[in-house]
Amino acid sequence: MKKVFALALASVMTLSLAACGGGNDAQGEAGNEGGAAAAGTAISGDTISIGVFEPTTGENGGGGMQEVLGIRYANQVAPTVDINGTTYNIKLVEVDNQSDKTAAVTAAQSLISSGVVGVIGSYGSGVAIAAGQTFADAGVPAIGCSCTNPQVTLGNDFYFRTCFLDPFQGTVMASYAIDQGYQTAALISQNGDDYSTGLAAFFKQAFEGMGGTIVADETYQTNESDFNAILTSVKTANPDCVFIPSSIATATLILPQAKANGITAQIIASDTWENESIIKAAGDAAEGVAFSTFFDENDEANPIAKEFVTGFKEYLNSDSQNLTLNGGTDGVAAVSALGYDAYMAMHNALQALDGTEGELTSVSIRDALVDVAFDGVTGSISFDENGDAKKNVAYIKQVKDGKFEFLKTQSAE
Amino acid sequence: MTSTSFLQYCLAGVSIGGIYALIAIGYTMVYGILRLINFAHGDIFMMAAYFMIFAMVDFALPWYVSIVLVLAATVALGVLIEKAAYKPLRSAPRMSIMISAIGVSYLLQNLATYLFSALPKGYPSIAFLTKTITIGSISTSVVTFITPILTIVFVVLLMQLINHTKIGMAMRAVSKDFETSQLMGIKINRVISFTFVIGCFLAAVGSILYFTPRPSVYPLAGSLPGLKCFIAAVFGGIGSIPGAVLGGFLIGLSETFIKAAGYSEFSDVFTFILLIVVLLFRPTGLFGEKITEKV
Amino acid sequence: MSNILEIKNLVVSYGGIEAVKGIDMIVPEGEIVTLIGANGAGKSTTLKSIAGLVKPRQASIQFKGQEIVGKTPDFIVSQGITLVPEGRRVFPNLTVMENLRIGAYLRKDNLKDDLEYVFSLFPRLKEREWQMAGTLSGGEQQMLAVGRALMSRPKLIMMDEPSLGLAPLVVKDIFTIIQTINEQGITVLLIEQNANMALKVAHKAYVIETGKITMEGTGAELLANEEIKEAYLGKTK
Repeated sequence: MKKVFALALASVMTLSLAACGGGNDAQGEAGNEGGAAAAGTAISGDTISIGVFEPTTGENGGGGMQEVLGIRYANQVAPTVDINGTTYNIKLVEVDNQSDKTAAVTAAQSLISSGVVGVIGSYGSGVAIAAGQTFADAGVPAIGCSCTNPQVTLGNDFYFRTCFLDPFQGTVMASYAIDQGYQTAALISQNGDDYSTGLAAFFKQAFEGMGGTIVADETYQTNESDFNAILTSVKTANPDCVFIPSSIATATLILPQAKANGITAQIIASDTWENESIIKAAGDAAEGVAFSTFFDENDEANPIAKEFVTGFKEYLNSDSQNLTLNGGTDGVAAVSALGYDAYMAMHNALQALDGTEGELTSVSIRDALVDVAFDGVTGSISFDENGDAKKNVAYIKQVKDGKFEFLKTQSAE
Repeated sequence: MTSTSFLQYCLAGVSIGGIYALIAIGYTMVYGILRLINFAHGDIFMMAAYFMIFAMVDFALPWYVSIVLVLAATVALGVLIEKAAYKPLRSAPRMSIMISAIGVSYLLQNLATYLFSALPKGYPSIAFLTKTITIGSISTSVVTFITPILTIVFVVLLMQLINHTKIGMAMRAVSKDFETSQLMGIKINRVISFTFVIGCFLAAVGSILYFTPRPSVYPLAGSLPGLKCFIAAVFGGIGSIPGAVLGGFLIGLSETFIKAAGYSEFSDVFTFILLIVVLLFRPTGLFGEKITEKV
Repeated sequence: MSNILEIKNLVVSYGGIEAVKGIDMIVPEGEIVTLIGANGAGKSTTLKSIAGLVKPRQASIQFKGQEIVGKTPDFIVSQGITLVPEGRRVFPNLTVMENLRIGAYLRKDNLKDDLEYVFSLFPRLKEREWQMAGTLSGGEQQMLAVGRALMSRPKLIMMDEPSLGLAPLVVKDIFTIIQTINEQGITVLLIEQNANMALKVAHKAYVIETGKITMEGTGAELLANEEIKEAYLGKTK
């Protein structure tokens, strides 16, 4: 009797395992080289869940939140999509990856199990890289907004992005430095952060390639708040400029300390520094800092950008909570624009599914993303064979009189 | 390393070391009197920073008023925590009160996250403190320079209080023997509250000195410094104030010089290894209590 | 002569076990009263209840006519009762001088005269004024504990087993001191296992057995009593 019972239990468990896994009949085989051929999640009912994979806490919480705002606004602008005669409501499922690689994987898994068919995010290359495999294994496509490290999309058929890459960004900043006449540079990067370390390396490569010399290469660890020692070392090396591709949180700390330590060299940085809280916290220690970014709200050239800026500012000002989350201002952050563009790319892909036969799954969305092409807020959006946006222009901004001022556009030469 | 940069490193080291010392004193004093490791102490340090933001940014009060308010509010917070979370557990097993402390720590962190959001907030700058000054060839801010000096002053004052006043004597007695202290007519609750007053006062001072040149506050900002200061207290012999001070300066200096040598990643590792080494070879710490009682 | 302390129906439980089961005691002013009994009979518990360290389940304890049950220990000290605890319990991390001063914690006036008096009673303490109390011998610590109790100028001094663990010569000294103090007008309530010495100096004595008073009388009476002799004074029939 016991044997029969055990056998019955075992078969019930096996059957239930087979029945799980996204409610699909076709079981894909596990892929071994690149592109995992997972079955993906099916679109069912009349709601399409799109995951928002961003840090809203931790050192990148500020920037992450701004991306979330851009995505939420986009969802407000385009909340539905018609596919094959059904009008679907697009629902955002937000998770917090806490700017932490381990938490990122858990957050990604929770998104998958809640049945999302697409993901937008993240701010922060480290967490995107960490969660990439989870999305790929589940067959759910992800569109990164501002994660610029090449590894996010390399070898991952399910990760796309709307921003430029760090090899490009590093070269852009190196070009800017050389253009300004700086012959020597010091680097300060965050150990263990893919974005920071990667970008510093790309800058170094480009800068040295253009004839410059790196006179100091300092690293600090995550959550560091005391930079006096490495700033002393940098000061001793006497560079013309200091390149600090760090998080917003670090910027608010390192700028006042740099000033206190008597560093007069120009400080240059990257896309993460476009955040009002840096100016607020660092005060006049932030004067003169120059950095590259994806978007400028005063850019008159792009009518889509103009419309977005007006509408997004309205959205921010409609609720004081939004203003707080944006850092207490209605200034449009570049990452918000990227978030908006990423959502629109997802929306475009969904729309493209209209007319397809057979079951619609997250894998179909992914296939549709490959061919997406439209004019977005941050320029024309289309993806190359790696899933990277074809972008070749960066905006250089500078802090002048306590405000971000657009300096010029810079390309990679 | 040039002599200028060496001196600069030393200054940075004793400055952060002084702050660690001030906070470590809080840990050691509370342990001495309650045999409790107040895990929430680092978070009280963090809350003091938010109080300052409240006072100077939200209410635009001048710095001299704000500083007084911050000191008062932090002390009040510490005393409140003692009465609400620790006093009821005074006769419970030691583990219970430690868990309560951990709970208070999480409560403060999450309260701060809820009230102030997890995004870093800017810490207001007090003009004369953030001014950059040069001493010889060393460049630093006023606050960094006065931090070690202030620390020494406070420590000396504290030792005077402990060793030469009646309340100090009462504190030393209570830390040894609750019951007999009561028989002397000492009000135990007052003495315990007073201990928290001192500890939180110093934590608030440390908070002002710490965040003025590092003007970014987020709810977890007290976590790592709190941990390091706890290690400083253990290293110096938990219960011993001079030990805690020494531990603080040691950790500050070693951290700075390890970073200066280019091994930033290991600066915290050193501190934790120090803890392990102390616990393995001399668990009572440098100036730890030796049993001097004879029956 | 009035009664400085009157205890009626003192009941104390420790977690379900009744340690003291309803005792009545009277301490006349200016006398030495002793409570003798075996280990665990409830003597310490009685003293601790009077001192406020232990809350009785019920009792009436009147000190100089004032009810002190349920009051805090520091209040009771301020009223003029001090306890020399079992095992001396000097503060080992304080000096001899500091131990004495802390005995006078509640006093705000000049302690010079009291210190002189204590040092005259215990010259050995004067020699070791600046020594840490933890380094003193057992007998010296006992002297210090008594001296410390005197510093608050109590009306009633209670002593919990002052002879415990001390050499006989030292014990003799202690009891001489007890009589000297009493002659100065301080009432003494003494609990002891060493019934012999206690009954010799006591004006009044109680015997407590498993939480109940079983006998009372003058010290001399109980000293001569055959049952007491057998049970507590080690005399065989």
